Amino acid sequence: MLSLRQRALLGGTASGALSVGVGTLAVFSFINARVSDRFDTALLDRHTQLVVGLSVTTHDPDALRDLMFDPAYGTPYSGRYWQVSNSEGEIFTSASLFDGVIAEPPGTPDVTTLWNTRGPENEALRGAYQKITYEDGTVWGVSVAESQAQLVAERHTAQQSLLPVFALVGLIGVVGSLLLTSIILTPLRKLRSDVAHRWDRDEDLKPGDYPEEVSPLVEDLNQLLRRNREIVSGSRRQAADLAHALKTPTAIMRNELLLLSEAGGSTETAVEALDRIDAQLGRSLARMRALNTADLTHSRTDLSHSIDRLARLFTTMAEREGKSLEIERDPGLWVRMDAQDIEEVLGNLLDNAVKWCKSKVRLTAGRTRNGIEVVIDDDGPGIPQDAHREALRSGGRLDTSVSGSGLGLAIAVDLLKAYDSRLDLGASNSLGGLECRIVIPKGTNAHPASG
Amino acid sequence: MRVLLAEDEPHLCEQIKKLLNAEGRVVDIVNSGLEALHLGATEPYDMIILDIGLPERDGISVLREWRSAGIKTPVLILTARDGWSERVDGLDAGADDYMTKPFHMPELAARVRAILRRQSGQLNPVVEMGNVVLDTRNGRVTADGVPIDLTAQELAVLTYLAHNVGRMISRTELSEHIYEYDGDRDSNTIAVFITRLRKKLGPDLITTIRGRGYMIDSA
Repeated sequence: MLSLRQRALLGGTASGALSVGVGTLAVFSFINARVSDRFDTALLDRHTQLVVGLSVTTHDPDALRDLMFDPAYGTPYSGRYWQVSNSEGEIFTSASLFDGVIAEPPGTPDVTTLWNTRGPENEALRGAYQKITYEDGTVWGVSVAESQAQLVAERHTAQQSLLPVFALVGLIGVVGSLLLTSIILTPLRKLRSDVAHRWDRDEDLKPGDYPEEVSPLVEDLNQLLRRNREIVSGSRRQAADLAHALKTPTAIMRNELLLLSEAGGSTETAVEALDRIDAQLGRSLARMRALNTADLTHSRTDLSHSIDRLARLFTTMAEREGKSLEIERDPGLWVRMDAQDIEEVLGNLLDNAVKWCKSKVRLTAGRTRNGIEVVIDDDGPGIPQDAHREALRSGGRLDTSVSGSGLGLAIAVDLLKAYDSRLDLGASNSLGGLECRIVIPKGTNAHPASG
Repeated sequence: MRVLLAEDEPHLCEQIKKLLNAEGRVVDIVNSGLEALHLGATEPYDMIILDIGLPERDGISVLREWRSAGIKTPVLILTARDGWSERVDGLDAGADDYMTKPFHMPELAARVRAILRRQSGQLNPVVEMGNVVLDTRNGRVTADGVPIDLTAQELAVLTYLAHNVGRMISRTELSEHIYEYDGDRDSNTIAVFITRLRKKLGPDLITTIRGRGYMIDSA
């Protein structure tokens, strides 16, 4: 489909071409009329001059050649001619006609008549003719003619001189339509920019900031964005309610099984089934969130703040087990991710690291050329290279994803994937255990609202 | 030791109460956020187990209100909300620990013991008081290595005194921490429990401070 800019350019060009075309035709028609009028006026003047000259030479028409002193009358085929003929059929002409004659108009009218005819060598001529009876009683047909080549040349010259003007007018029309398009599209560009920044500021767009034609669209957008947010928060509430509805009964069942076990009953199969239910539940709820999140929220989160929040929790957890957590992060790291989602990813990875490390975990976060990276290293046993893929596999078998053996990694992968980000596993060069590298590309990371 | 359990699932409440009673704790149960807010603010609990998803008022807001009112009773959050953000929110609101459902009862018991020990400064779950030893993990008591059978009320009195070794405990305070909210709080019965404990554990374990209360010496 053509863009608005293309449509405006095409429309502007078409209307500009039409305007210039019609304008050109009108102006050329006017110029033609003016040039023809001037030509005819000059022709009539010469005809009058010939009529006057003949009035004193009817007895000696050959003397007219001396009276009509225009040099063009003396040059053969010059394009300017005169001719007189009497009732006896005698014809007297200018020298320029050489041995040719000018045809007289049909009916030999006795009023001055302008007409088009052919002259020597079939030359197109414009002529003026009148049949006149002089005071001495003689009757004469008086003609002057002029080649139309001059008229055509004059018209052509006038048109040529105007063509650049019309081309310039056309160009101005196209540039004007582009400028007009740009001005008309400015509110739409602002809308696009405001929508992008709305994710940053988390506030509604202001319809009053837009022209009246666009403001209804802005209100519709606000409603749509609010609806999206409600859908996300609603589905999260549902997930939380579902979690509460299912996890509390499984806790009760687990405790009943514990009592049964203490009384000597065999509960291993039931406990294992319960473990699988819990794992399935955790995974399904996490997937629900990942599926509903990225496309609808576009939240903006202060990653540095989230890291600090989690650091407080995990530092305490590590210290309780005689371990340490070291945090190194750049200030002012922002990402276009929901805060709960990025904290869930970091929490799962830190939980694994604290659980499996011997004594030390380190989290580093900073900007790279391509975005933001968060690296969590530990000095634990790590994961063998050939097991990385299985550990990260989304939708892997749940009976291998029981608590503490990979579910957290799989959830982290699902959530990161929803934001076009990824988790890479490797060996920690500095601490010797597992290295979890979260790569958040540009476009998923954001800058503070001020810029 | 008296514990407030704020949880809206009755079966789970009974299971937890049974677990804690076995260790000599007294448990009051409430099923809504408003009840929890009221009792937590007005009764002298030794700790509170708080669900977040309570009816009428959510647990986090109840906890925030307690903390802003200066109530420092240790709180363990027990919830189905297992996200890390929610855990941090809970701890930032003033919780001392956070457990997610489903959970293992022994782990809950251990977390409760740990919180109560931290509260009283007792780092060891086994409290030795001369020849008497109280294992807070299972409520077992020995005197000179011989197991002694105590009733639930006797164990509750001994446990509270053992968690406050070296500190004089008035009859009123003792009754506030060994009776449930709806229980008959006749402080005269405290003297009966003390007498029975002396008979079972020896006359010198608990000292009576006339007109003021009781104390287990730290020596």
